[in-house]
Amino acid sequence: MLFLHAAEQGLIYGLTALGVYLAFRVLAFPDLSVDGTFPLGAAVAGTLVLRGLSPHLALLGALGAGLVAGAFTGLLATRLRIPGLLAGVLTMIMLYSLNLRLMGRPNLPLLGRPSALVGLARALAIPRGYEALAASGIFALAALGLLLLFLHTELGGALRAVGQNPEMVRALGTNPENLVVLGVALANGLVALSGALASQYSGFADVGMGIGTLVAGLASVLVGEMLLRPRGILPHLVAVLLGSLVYRLAIALALRYGAALGFTASDLRLVTALVVLGALAAPVLRTAVRGGEA
Amino acid sequence: MLEVVGVTKTFALGAERVVALEDVNLALGEGEVATVIGSNGAGKTTLLNVIAGTCRPDRGRIKLAGQDITRWPVHKRASLIGRVYQDPLRGTAAQMTVLENLALASRKGRRGLGPLVGRRRLALREAVAQLGMGLEKRLAERVAHLSGGERQALTVLMATLTRPKLLLLDEHTAALDPANAERVLKITEDLVRENRITTVMVTHRMDQALAVGERLVMMHKGRVLLDLGYEAKRGLRVEDLVALFRKVGVADDALLLAELPGNGWAASAAAKEGSHGLVQIRAA
Repeated sequence: MLFLHAAEQGLIYGLTALGVYLAFRVLAFPDLSVDGTFPLGAAVAGTLVLRGLSPHLALLGALGAGLVAGAFTGLLATRLRIPGLLAGVLTMIMLYSLNLRLMGRPNLPLLGRPSALVGLARALAIPRGYEALAASGIFALAALGLLLLFLHTELGGALRAVGQNPEMVRALGTNPENLVVLGVALANGLVALSGALASQYSGFADVGMGIGTLVAGLASVLVGEMLLRPRGILPHLVAVLLGSLVYRLAIALALRYGAALGFTASDLRLVTALVVLGALAAPVLRTAVRGGEA
Repeated sequence: MLEVVGVTKTFALGAERVVALEDVNLALGEGEVATVIGSNGAGKTTLLNVIAGTCRPDRGRIKLAGQDITRWPVHKRASLIGRVYQDPLRGTAAQMTVLENLALASRKGRRGLGPLVGRRRLALREAVAQLGMGLEKRLAERVAHLSGGERQALTVLMATLTRPKLLLLDEHTAALDPANAERVLKITEDLVRENRITTVMVTHRMDQALAVGERLVMMHKGRVLLDLGYEAKRGLRVEDLVALFRKVGVADDALLLAELPGNGWAASAAAKEGSHGLVQIRAA
């Protein structure tokens, strides 16, 4: 059960990790608006389902809302020249109010409401107990596949080049600013979709569910990179999904057995941030240690 | 092909105003190759920036291939202009493969949802084989693995791949060792001649400025001091250039030396010029 639930969550949050990878690694844009677009996806999909829309169309609505919010951040960063981190924070804060207004209250119970995960699993006649795993796996792999294809198109190739050398992209006839807007929009679309799936999975949408989305996504990306040391796009995308699975499993284990060590659920974000901190600081620390020895 | 008409550009440096370009005029015919020399601060790079669109002139116009491009943004001009910088890192995406970099350059400005490489592979492979550096066998390698010379040769190929109307070279061999500098220069000349691309090449090396192209432009303090055509340039030697520099007021040896890149230059100049001119100045 513990492994099963961790795997389901790893796949659902894997979409978030893929979005964070796209913004942070491909575009070199640490985008904090994901902390707002994750609950945005949940709020939009939840509201739509409560209004009687099918859960699948509700997912599309969430995706669209995420794309728009991400494009907004991208426009702040490029057209208005607001530093990327700040642009993300501004969008995130605005979304907090917007999400509250959308839901009408801080928490939207969705238990017993139709879920796209269940719907998809039923349509495919997945055996009982494995519905959520199979459906979330399909969503995660579809996102991975589409992202893989996209990054190998002319447009996707230019997007990858922007993160490495925007000046070159400009010199090759494409406005890098437009690519940043597109990339951040896609990243937030993925994250909002992930939030919508998470809400249908857990049976509620909550205005606070987005806190730490970027950091958790980063943790998945970094854990995946440490495990696989990927070269190339496909290995990298696989590593990100694997990182998400491992990260969710680690959390599940910590919640189950951490109590014995004095951990509580509220320590989770502290530990996650420390993992990210360690991974990001590792190259510097390694150099410092080596320098000290020499 | 290229017309720079009365271009003036002033930068504010704190309270001071620095005139980078003052009423610069330059006209190049189709396929014509001009080298531009001048001491530091002469305005050579600013001239290229104004033409490429990375900085906008205060006054004057830029015309290229019959169109007034003075107000075009950089990425729009890129369809007509290729540019190579001194730093080999600036022209390529390090974490993408040789093939992907070439493919991006071959589809300048057109970014659809078709495959980046796809069927272009063969044509691109053929193009990169022409460099004679064996890069056609390393298409799947990331550009970060290439040497400076290989990377700069690739950049030159990328800049000329779509046969732009104009090629801007900003001391593009200055960061390379002498052997690689010569190779990249040879590759550049071949590509430019083969595709008949109008070219402006900024260089610090007087021997290069004389050996390459049919026009020679000498700049000083934001002005064009000298604009020599083929006939006038042909008979010129490095020591003549030095004399010209002295005549127009760059009489200070220290300034003249300051503009000469230390590594590689003296050796190749010595080989070419014996113990003449600049080498003597250098020794003094």
